[in-house]
Amino acid sequence: MTEASKSIRDALLKPDAGSIRRSRIDWIMRRVFEASAFLTVLPLFVVIMFVFVRALPWLNPAFFFNNPLDPEPGIFNAIIGSIQMSGLAMLITAPIGIAGGVYLSEFASSRVVSIGETLIDILLGVPSIVAGIFAYLLLVPVLGFSAWAGSLALAVLTLPIVMRTTQEVMRLVPVSIREASLALGIPVWRTTLLVTLRTAFPGVLTGLVLALSRALGETAPLIFTAKGTNALNFLEFGTTMNAMPLVIYRYAGAAEDQLVGQAWATALVLMAIALAMNVAVRWRTIDSRVA
Amino acid sequence: MEVRALHSLRGARVAGDKYFTRLMSAAVITLGLLLIALIGSLVSASMPLWAIQTPLSFLSTPAWITGIEQADGSTVEVYGAAAALFGTAVTSLIAVAFAAPIGIFGAIYLVEYAPKRVAIPLTFLVELIAAIPSVVFGLWAVKDLSLRLRDSIEWWIASTVGQVIPWLSEEPGSPSADSIFRAGFLLAIMILPMIVAVSREFMRSVPVSLREGYVGMGATKWESIRDVVLPTARIGLIGAVLLALGRALGETIAVTMVIGNAEGIPSSLFLPGNTIASKIANTIGEATDVQRSAVVALGLALFILTFVISILVRVLIRRFAVIKAVS
Amino acid sequence: MIRVDGGQGTVPGQVAQGAEGGKHREQSAPEASAGTVELRGVEAFYGTFRAVNNVSMDIHPRSVTALIGPSGCGKSTLLRSINRMHETLLGASVKGSIHLDGVDLYSSDLDPVRVRRVIGMVFQKPNPFPTMSIYENVAAGMRLLGRTPKSELDGVVETSLRRAALWDEVKDKLKQPGTSLSGGQQQRLCIARAVAVQPRVLLMDEPCSALDPVATLKIEELIRELAADYTIIIVTHNMQQASRVSNHTAFFAMDDSRAGYLVESGLTTEIFTAPKLPLTERYIAGRFG
Repeated sequence: MTEASKSIRDALLKPDAGSIRRSRIDWIMRRVFEASAFLTVLPLFVVIMFVFVRALPWLNPAFFFNNPLDPEPGIFNAIIGSIQMSGLAMLITAPIGIAGGVYLSEFASSRVVSIGETLIDILLGVPSIVAGIFAYLLLVPVLGFSAWAGSLALAVLTLPIVMRTTQEVMRLVPVSIREASLALGIPVWRTTLLVTLRTAFPGVLTGLVLALSRALGETAPLIFTAKGTNALNFLEFGTTMNAMPLVIYRYAGAAEDQLVGQAWATALVLMAIALAMNVAVRWRTIDSRVA
Repeated sequence: MEVRALHSLRGARVAGDKYFTRLMSAAVITLGLLLIALIGSLVSASMPLWAIQTPLSFLSTPAWITGIEQADGSTVEVYGAAAALFGTAVTSLIAVAFAAPIGIFGAIYLVEYAPKRVAIPLTFLVELIAAIPSVVFGLWAVKDLSLRLRDSIEWWIASTVGQVIPWLSEEPGSPSADSIFRAGFLLAIMILPMIVAVSREFMRSVPVSLREGYVGMGATKWESIRDVVLPTARIGLIGAVLLALGRALGETIAVTMVIGNAEGIPSSLFLPGNTIASKIANTIGEATDVQRSAVVALGLALFILTFVISILVRVLIRRFAVIKAVS
Repeated sequence: MIRVDGGQGTVPGQVAQGAEGGKHREQSAPEASAGTVELRGVEAFYGTFRAVNNVSMDIHPRSVTALIGPSGCGKSTLLRSINRMHETLLGASVKGSIHLDGVDLYSSDLDPVRVRRVIGMVFQKPNPFPTMSIYENVAAGMRLLGRTPKSELDGVVETSLRRAALWDEVKDKLKQPGTSLSGGQQQRLCIARAVAVQPRVLLMDEPCSALDPVATLKIEELIRELAADYTIIIVTHNMQQASRVSNHTAFFAMDDSRAGYLVESGLTTEIFTAPKLPLTERYIAGRFG
């Protein structure tokens, strides 16, 4: 065997402490990463299981259809209240958010886009309680604690979500689709609405659903705007209104088992709704996003 | 992001178009006005406080309200946000300290090691955590996590390191029902998905050819992650952590339920405390006049904090895009 | 499929049973054989799809062997199988045997990391590490082996950059990022980086296809120089480049199952002037691919 060949054989085969050490470290680090990935999903299962188990005994028709002051108390007014306030918030937010998203994607100059995106970023970062303070300062002196204020706070929080998702999905529509429409003589505004927006609509819908899901789950801004109440409030936005997150917040520290139990049950309902919404909109996009 | 060829849109203008685009632009203007209104209302409603106290004094006084006897027999109230600031800072730091390594390492697994049939569902599941309302997390934490933490980690740390380091100790015989540490730990769980998702995006954008170049020279996979992927994605990872930090700073409900509502700066992490957000939540209901403007001032402080972080993240992400374009 | 031996190669030695296991062969040939790569029945798969079908050939040391053929014929896949890069893709696998100086590169007692140290690779698009300086790029491989004294590292960096004909151009700006160089310079940096760890074989996957003609010529000249010390295998789409740069050429084509197979291999001069198979001749004449 020649010198040169021998050195190759040695380089490849001779036991080498350094190589072995590096190989071992590689193996260990891989296990560390796997464990970390496991830890990141663990809370999901723990929370779901725990809430599920604790909530189950308290789920019955009375829980859903009665009000807190009935002999067999329930959270009906909270369910209705959540739907009303979140619904109103979305009613305000959807047109403005979609319009803004369309504008930023289609018509704005790059400087305006930059400013607009920064504004959205800032608004996205606003803590929910600050949004609550804003609504409190603006509306409570005028209307008192009311569902109007609650809805306003929710609207402030959901607006940037809708605007951002709309902008992003509009951007994804290929330029060729717009050009094909324009080449047919269809004016810009009709193209944007009937062609581009329509193509992007599933994505826009996703944004709306995600924003709604967020609105339903928000607690902090409602504590001192809509405040919560034990009475059933239907379409009376000028006064206090109950909401599901408020029920959980108020009952969590209660002494009576029944109240705590209802907190769990409400938590299960809220969590189920939020998860269902998120799964529904993300389901279709799973593959394309990992590719 | 694609570059929009807006020129093609400029060509086919019709009368209706001008009004249409003006209408659309109104939405963005509304956004701007909203932000201005927000800032404006926070500033003006906190004015009564600034009339009697300087921001510096406000930020550095620990006790929420102290009455100071004046020479003429009246009392002047001095407000202090330091305790709340302390709580906010510490809980967020604890959260990031736990969540950043685990989140980034988890993202490394998803990007570098996981086969598609594992990566897809796993990514999906991690994102689902972000969908759970914070009040549900708060409830779970109060009834389950808190107790687990108290009886395991907190007890363990307090009886070992805590014997030596006072701010890691706890009341002998009666560990408290709420604590700063617990709030921080819960926050960590809640911001984890954000760190994983954003880190993953940035690491995925590191070109495969760079990894191959290093492995082709005889590096192990871990070495290619350590010396190529992480440094290249570093700016984005910092952005991910900052984003999560911003979220942690503003998180209200879950923290409020777990931190207890204690006055002043606690002497140990295992004692209850307050964050800016929880202080606001606990106080605003009954606050009147000057105290109310003090609460608003707290909100203003929090807003400024998250504002700065949002801008920082935006700058960082722009820097990352530039580096990527060059490499 | 006909295999034609270039003539300058060695006859593989007998299989020996020994302490290293039955798969590593004795090398009984002279000094010139150090750095010989022997492929026998090599097949490469992406999952169940076979991309390379039954390739057997010898690669001769101290020379440049070009792998040519239309795109999709598995040339790059085959190249990446030699330094065990192919298997880093999920689901990818290699069958058959590849020996370097008698050592079975796929034997189970062999760490692929060490294989890649002995067999270096230069990629199609220059890929200097953006977060490292020019100096650090070249030194990266040595750093992996542990703490090397700075003086020694300096020496290795300079030697490697000289080898890659890049030293004069960068000696005053070693601290600048690797990405601050032009395309051709970046590729030479990648070559310097590859030779810094003292490999025996250099694999080059279309190293010039992303470069302008001037840079290309510089690199081709460099390759001819490097052949004096390394076994070089280069995949190229450019036939003129193959004829300019290589001593041996292997021509690949795609069979009906879309797998690449070796049509013919031999001395470059012979393949280009008097190919033995009509398919080869048609490709050389530019009639397809």
